[in-house]
Amino acid sequence: MTLATPRPSTAGQPEPAGVDNPVVVGGVTLTWRALPELTLPAPAAVLAPDARWALAAARHHAVHGTELLLTGAGRVDEAMRAELLDAGFTVTALGDSGAAHSSPARPRPAEPGRLWLLTSGSTGRPKRVGHTLDSLTTVRGAQPERTWLCPYAPGTYAWWQVVTLSLTQPGQRLVVVEPEQLDDWPALAAAHGVDAASGTPTFWRRTLYRDAAALARVPLRQLTLGGEPVDQAILDQLRDLFPAARISWIYASSEVGAAIVVHDGRAGFPVDWLDRPAPGRPTLSVRDEELVITSPYHGAGLAGAVRTGDRVQVVGDRVLITGRLDSDEINVGGSKVSAGLVRDVLTAHPRVAWARVTGRRAPVLGRMVVAEVVPTPHAAPAVGEALDEAALVRWCAGRLPEHAVPRRIRVLTEIPVKETLKSDV
Amino acid sequence: MNELSRAQIRDLMAQVLGNQGKVLPGDDAAELREIGFRSLDFSELALRVEDETGEELNFDAPGLRRIATVGDVLDFLVDLQRQQ
Repeated sequence: MTLATPRPSTAGQPEPAGVDNPVVVGGVTLTWRALPELTLPAPAAVLAPDARWALAAARHHAVHGTELLLTGAGRVDEAMRAELLDAGFTVTALGDSGAAHSSPARPRPAEPGRLWLLTSGSTGRPKRVGHTLDSLTTVRGAQPERTWLCPYAPGTYAWWQVVTLSLTQPGQRLVVVEPEQLDDWPALAAAHGVDAASGTPTFWRRTLYRDAAALARVPLRQLTLGGEPVDQAILDQLRDLFPAARISWIYASSEVGAAIVVHDGRAGFPVDWLDRPAPGRPTLSVRDEELVITSPYHGAGLAGAVRTGDRVQVVGDRVLITGRLDSDEINVGGSKVSAGLVRDVLTAHPRVAWARVTGRRAPVLGRMVVAEVVPTPHAAPAVGEALDEAALVRWCAGRLPEHAVPRRIRVLTEIPVKETLKSDV
Repeated sequence: MNELSRAQIRDLMAQVLGNQGKVLPGDDAAELREIGFRSLDFSELALRVEDETGEELNFDAPGLRRIATVGDVLDFLVDLQRQQ
């Protein structure tokens, strides 16, 4: 687990330590310092049309420390805009022709140093979570020089993780991928010498699925996975491609910050990390199969133990995070099935690139386990069997209890992905 | 609505058993217990019927009845489609 030590807030400091780090954005190499200079009101909700403007707003906050909510322009609809104005923000749409400001009905004093995140809103409307640049800065202490890929949507927790690293640490370069470049990021990354990349398991699966050879040409020394349950199959596939790289997975969220970092190449974390309080470190616990975290780095107003809503299961000496509590458990005729564990069995099949497992209403049993899979583009030579429903049912039947075997398995042609780079699970 | 014939449902039932390496006998009087067709298989068969017809089956509609043979399963699902 990574140790994150507290340090004084950077709010209001004139010069972030990484301000001369190179940043590749829109295919152009510049530095943090050379990004456009902004004049922002406070508190401001900044809508960035692209990555360059988002980075400029992040630097503005790092220098001036004024209250900021930063997000991509596409994430704020009319209702959200009204909500932000109502909460006292000036809504500022950035763009090449200048900034357009909408003033709040009832202005309020700004809170210096405050940074707001809009959560991904996978379970309803996005909500605001309060942070500071300090509480978003996970990586501290000297780091080896790296060129980081940033594939995330501006203003999300994961985006800030990469951005704060480059802003606060000299020698941490950044290569930003715009949404339209996402499918071909390995070419961009190889061209700019990217040697560290962070993405969701879905992001990595999609990249392996599209062009594993192109991925292998990126000189990666650090691969990081997070944002979704991380299974052994994806860790093993990346290890095969990058035998010498450090492959890590991180459990982090807007609510609790970065709480778990695992570097040993295995899914889950060691069971002896549970209930071990240590100063400055998050404490991990399990209550009623739910991961509970008490963290020094949680969002504002979330002091104490935070129920994460993520379901965990202890398997052998590891604690596996299997999925969201409200969607992971499928009750098949009174027997509990973890969708995440079934998904892990499917993705461990050498010809499966991606899988989604859900419960479907069924007679007699109430619900049944069903699945969707995307096959790997090229048949693995060691596996002669065609990938069809019957073959996958047999594969699962050999590895799961009978009631957990998905009986209806649809084969899709493309891995579905959302703006957050997560699959819609 | 799209309705499957008894023979079409029989084909689906053969598929359900076939996926598990089992064979559906030709005799409608064959006991489900004997051929290893259980509640999970029955549920799967119902989902297959729903997928073929594009209609949800309403299992609340019919009263309880004894389903012990291959013929019982086929009769039940044929009847159920008509009650939509």
